[in-house]
Amino acid sequence: MSGIGAALLNSLDIGLLLFIIAVGLNIVFGVLNIINFAHGALYMLGAYLAFTLINIAGMPFWAALLLAPIGVAILAVIIDRVLLRFIYSRDVADSLLLTFAILLIINESVRMIWGSGIHVVQPPDLLSGSVRLLGSSVATYSLFVIVIGLLLLAGLWYLFNRTRVGRIMRAAALDRDMAEALCINTRLVVTGVFAFGAWLAAVGGVMAAPMRALDPGMGDKIIIESFIVVVIGGLGSFPGALLGAIILGLIHGFGGRYLPEVNLLLPFVGMALVLLFKPHGIMGKGAHA
Amino acid sequence: MKKMTIRNLLVAMTATATLGTAGTSFAEDPIRIGGLYILSGSAATYGEFAQKGINLAVDEINDSGGILGRQVEMIYEDTQGKASVAIQAARKLVYSENVDALVGLDSSGVAQGMVPTMPELQKPLIITHAATPDVTGKLCNSFTYRISVNVAQNMKAAAMVAAETDATNWTTIGPDYAFGHQSWEFFGNYLKEINPDVNLMSETNFPRFGAEDFTPFIDRVMDSDAKGVLISVWGGDLVNFIRQANTRGFFEEDLEVMFTVGAATEVLTALGEEMPEGVHLSTRYWYEAYDNDINDRFVKAYLDAYGNPPSYNAEGAYAAIYAYKQAMEAAGTTDGPAVAKALSGMSMEAPNGTVTFREGDNQAMVSPNWGVSGPMHPEHGIRTLTNLQIFDGEKVARTIEETGCKL
Repeated sequence: MSGIGAALLNSLDIGLLLFIIAVGLNIVFGVLNIINFAHGALYMLGAYLAFTLINIAGMPFWAALLLAPIGVAILAVIIDRVLLRFIYSRDVADSLLLTFAILLIINESVRMIWGSGIHVVQPPDLLSGSVRLLGSSVATYSLFVIVIGLLLLAGLWYLFNRTRVGRIMRAAALDRDMAEALCINTRLVVTGVFAFGAWLAAVGGVMAAPMRALDPGMGDKIIIESFIVVVIGGLGSFPGALLGAIILGLIHGFGGRYLPEVNLLLPFVGMALVLLFKPHGIMGKGAHA
Repeated sequence: MKKMTIRNLLVAMTATATLGTAGTSFAEDPIRIGGLYILSGSAATYGEFAQKGINLAVDEINDSGGILGRQVEMIYEDTQGKASVAIQAARKLVYSENVDALVGLDSSGVAQGMVPTMPELQKPLIITHAATPDVTGKLCNSFTYRISVNVAQNMKAAAMVAAETDATNWTTIGPDYAFGHQSWEFFGNYLKEINPDVNLMSETNFPRFGAEDFTPFIDRVMDSDAKGVLISVWGGDLVNFIRQANTRGFFEEDLEVMFTVGAATEVLTALGEEMPEGVHLSTRYWYEAYDNDINDRFVKAYLDAYGNPPSYNAEGAYAAIYAYKQAMEAAGTTDGPAVAKALSGMSMEAPNGTVTFREGDNQAMVSPNWGVSGPMHPEHGIRTLTNLQIFDGEKVARTIEETGCKL
């Protein structure tokens, strides 16, 4: 009856949330050449900051959506200036180790500050409840996630293809020495890109807060899914993050309904197939793009 | 490449150095009990509940003279919910920290891996949370005891509750590991025994543990002709499940809904009014179910100390420390095998009444609690349980033969 429409909307809502998170991971890798293990922890921080602003400070959801990601971006600037700047010139493996350490520190800090209990954030009144769409009842908030995901997608495309800032970021990604020779302040670009990636993670966290129970393990869960997205779509590729996220969303939305016995397996089968036939991901270009 | 090797070497050296220093102090006076719980990650809240319960017991015992005249000291290790980590941690506690006894284990998977190594350690272990029937069944041994309700006991009670309803067509939604599958298996078998006419649907639902989004499985059950559904999703997953089920209109369907760990206080606290009324909820210990002095004192002390009503996990851990006090005093020693022997067949008074570790499988005969979610509690901010049923621990337990345990 309601099957396909509900599955499709469910896939889009999961897929676009994943896209918001995975695209930040990909931009950071593309420009800085580091694989940021702490990306999921920054997502979690976004969610917990939103919890604090909404449930404890009593602010509206919209204020949290604006402020929490800025807070996380400021923290990212500090992380970049105090820690990451020492390892940009080193092997990718070093960045994995360092960001893994940052992840552990953030995870434990979240547990110490907010406790290990389960927290819940309510969606704003405007978006609570559900509507009938495509023959099934859908949470209004899920539609909001889909709309925000699409807006961010359009905004990012515009940023990278139509603005000077976007071109500078792409130039720094392609050849940092040459960019520097052309009087681009690459240090500023590097810090800016890392903060922007963290901002995206935190936007994902605030968006997720009303639909996901908050606990100190939520960052670890999302980082694994984000890595699957990135492997399927292509590490460092912007369209790849979108494609990978939508594929994973579809696997979740349709796999859970129609192939429940193998729903655990499907994302990994997808990942294995991509690795076999397109080792750099569907949209990957070998070197980072 | 060479640089990598040197670094790895350095890391290994530092790690060994810290291990060495940790083990040097030797226990003289206090009795040391090792606690093995999940203290990090998503399920860290369960380890913390256990610690809260244990802290109360240890303080009470130490204030009234300790065990065998000695003070009690706790040492905790994080199992991270992984069997391999738990086994290492237990060895460290026994060999380096010289603990006299162990309590712990939050996960069935961890318990299945860890329990077979207990005879090697020669120290008693009281499991306070993990519910797989296997550890007091085919994997049982003379050092492993469990003070909490296991899946077989709780599912027999669940089948009795289910048999009272009109639903004849049953399915399940449960996490895709031992706990979810065993819950459905035991529930189905017991329900068939009571009422051979019920239909156990072949269409079952086992989402990934930690799946976060359960919408596909909720829709699948709503689109099927199920009239009853056993849900063994727990913890943060359960909070997500219920909120998503609310937006889908799941609870307005003509369905008997049974949550096997639904009356866990941490879940009820997080959900508040979002937990629907009129669904069947179970827990291994409901704080308002027992009218005795020990429970009154325990609940009051817990509320005073932490501001929330105690969860089942806190109660199990609290009682386990008192079980060791009684066993060590009966044995007159802290010697591992002697204490383990004293636990066998021992009866004790706990917040949930008289608890007996059955000789033959070392499972405590404790009572599963089932009820129906009712109005909000005026002070505690959580749903109350109405139509509360306290099942007789002996009656819902498997026979020793059925457990497959040979001691």
